[in-house]
Amino acid sequence: MSLVLLLRLGVVLSAVYCLITLTVLIARTFSFGRPPRYAKAQGSAAKGIVYAFGQGMLPWEKESASKHLPTFFAGILYHAGIFAAIFFLITALLLIKLPDVAIRIVRLIAVIGLLSGIGLLVKRFALPYMRFISCLDDYIANILVGLLLLFTLLATYHYVLQFALMAVAIVLLLYIPVGKIRHCVFFFYSRILFGTFFGRRGTLPHPSIED
Amino acid sequence: MSEEAKKDPYEEHMRALTSTELAKAMQTFCDKIEFGDAAQLNSCVHCGLCTDTCHYYLASGELEALPAYKLNLVSAVFKNQHTRLGKIAPALTGAEALDAEMVSRWIDSLYGRCTLCGRCALNCTLGINISRLIRLARTTLASVNLVPPELQSTVSTAVDKGNNMGIPRQEWFDTLQWLDEELQQEVSDPSAHLPIDQPNTRLFYTVNPREPKFFPLSLLATAKIFHAAGESWTFSSDYYDVTNYGLFSGDDQASGVISARLRDSMHKLRANTLVLGECGHGYNANRWEAPEWLAGAYGFEVKSILEIIADYIRQGRIKLDRSRNQKRVTLHDPCNLVRLGGIIEEQRFILKRAVSDFVEMYPNREQNFCCGGGGGQLSMTRFAKRRIESGRIKAEQIRATGAQIVVAPCHNCIDQLSELNKEYKLGVEIKTVSEMVADALIIER
Repeated sequence: MSLVLLLRLGVVLSAVYCLITLTVLIARTFSFGRPPRYAKAQGSAAKGIVYAFGQGMLPWEKESASKHLPTFFAGILYHAGIFAAIFFLITALLLIKLPDVAIRIVRLIAVIGLLSGIGLLVKRFALPYMRFISCLDDYIANILVGLLLLFTLLATYHYVLQFALMAVAIVLLLYIPVGKIRHCVFFFYSRILFGTFFGRRGTLPHPSIED
Repeated sequence: MSEEAKKDPYEEHMRALTSTELAKAMQTFCDKIEFGDAAQLNSCVHCGLCTDTCHYYLASGELEALPAYKLNLVSAVFKNQHTRLGKIAPALTGAEALDAEMVSRWIDSLYGRCTLCGRCALNCTLGINISRLIRLARTTLASVNLVPPELQSTVSTAVDKGNNMGIPRQEWFDTLQWLDEELQQEVSDPSAHLPIDQPNTRLFYTVNPREPKFFPLSLLATAKIFHAAGESWTFSSDYYDVTNYGLFSGDDQASGVISARLRDSMHKLRANTLVLGECGHGYNANRWEAPEWLAGAYGFEVKSILEIIADYIRQGRIKLDRSRNQKRVTLHDPCNLVRLGGIIEEQRFILKRAVSDFVEMYPNREQNFCCGGGGGQLSMTRFAKRRIESGRIKAEQIRATGAQIVVAPCHNCIDQLSELNKEYKLGVEIKTVSEMVADALIIER
């Protein structure tokens, strides 16, 4: 079996492992149970959830974003880079040849994502309060994703570097379920729970103002 | 540690925790975790964007006050118990066992640097309900009698004596009788009075015991409004305490006992609506948490007095003359009533009709800053210095408005704001919404 085939198989198997492990993790999380809620709702949980994934994601709706705009946008660009890298990795696995324009777009998003990721990592290292709340997992996750973005960028220039990209992808996929990157699934649950909580209570979306 | 701290039985208990107690605490922690808690304990990415949302951190700059750190303390124990990597390689994910050292950090940060105000939760980029998870840790500590004794004493007094100030029944009667006379003079109507144990009324009104004890004129203000509206209402002779400090101590069992009394009084009096007086946490506890503690839906309406007063105005049942309140007024939004309670616009609707010059402080509504008096902090004297320091953020908000009166629909907030008024030399009056309305009330004789 050639190295390229081995790496492709490795990525697929580690992706399957990642999906299965995350599914088990979600099932275990559900096993904690959820008692019924008895207090009569004042607002709407559904509207709260729509707010949580819509208006509530806008920077001016959250002080955490409005007061930290560079970090907020770095985070968005970082994640955009990750999605571009995943897209490029899938095309590489399926041996799809991307048109030049698509490669240039992937390259641009990956480089911006990489720079954003480096910026976030530097911030984590440099600021005392960030170091105080960080653990090893935070640095590992950031470095692994940074490597994925770096090798995505390099692989857009030379086919051979796709091997390195796949090797990094295997490590990353194996790491996702055990480290903080698991938030890729729990993010959605957290936002749903956020919307449900504040929606039922009538806090969000903002009630209309009666003059 | 000081000599005094060494002699503190609470500190001694904390240091000498047995393995049985730690196991019991861990069991409680695991038993109380729901699906949502587990999902959120797996979610934090340590982005640090919650930093500026906490008044403790803003005021002190102490890293132990960071919301993400406080959440870390809870998630560390969760990871250690419920994740593979947390068990195999705890240092990698920040997992830690619930030992005496961790308990000490929990008490210091989760009781001592948090008012459970929920501002970090509202602003968390992922939407993690940090204050709920901190209360979960408090519940864990409560299961092994590690609630700070001053807070526990407030809860125990409520459980043992029927109200958190231990007001004897006769004193309650005497206060109401005296207020009866005052009300009759105020409204020039000898038939006006504060009813007690009247069955089948529309409203059963509950109050913070601080009102009969220290602020009876605030009770009088509400009675005057009820009188003007021609309301059918009553107090209860036995259980009338709207507060429930079990919400803050984390003791679900005591919380349930206290809540059940108001529910049972409702049934005994056969009233239609349980009306919660101006008390932020009392509203959150009785409106939102009590049905969960008692595991059953209430078969009656639960409303804030602010909703009732706003309805009186909308329905024309009371008339107000805002020119009677000429001073500049600003509004403090109690966290448990507004952000966690959903009562956001009613108080504004009322004040705009009761005062001539109303100004908002910024930020406001669900984004308000906690005054520092919530979460049981007013009871926990051991953390009083931090409480006053954390209130600096609220004091600066108030000063920026140039207001002469701060209205706060919460007696806990009023106590804290009164202390801030002295400490930060704000020179303001602090009043309830009912007091402002009563001052503007047009009594038709």
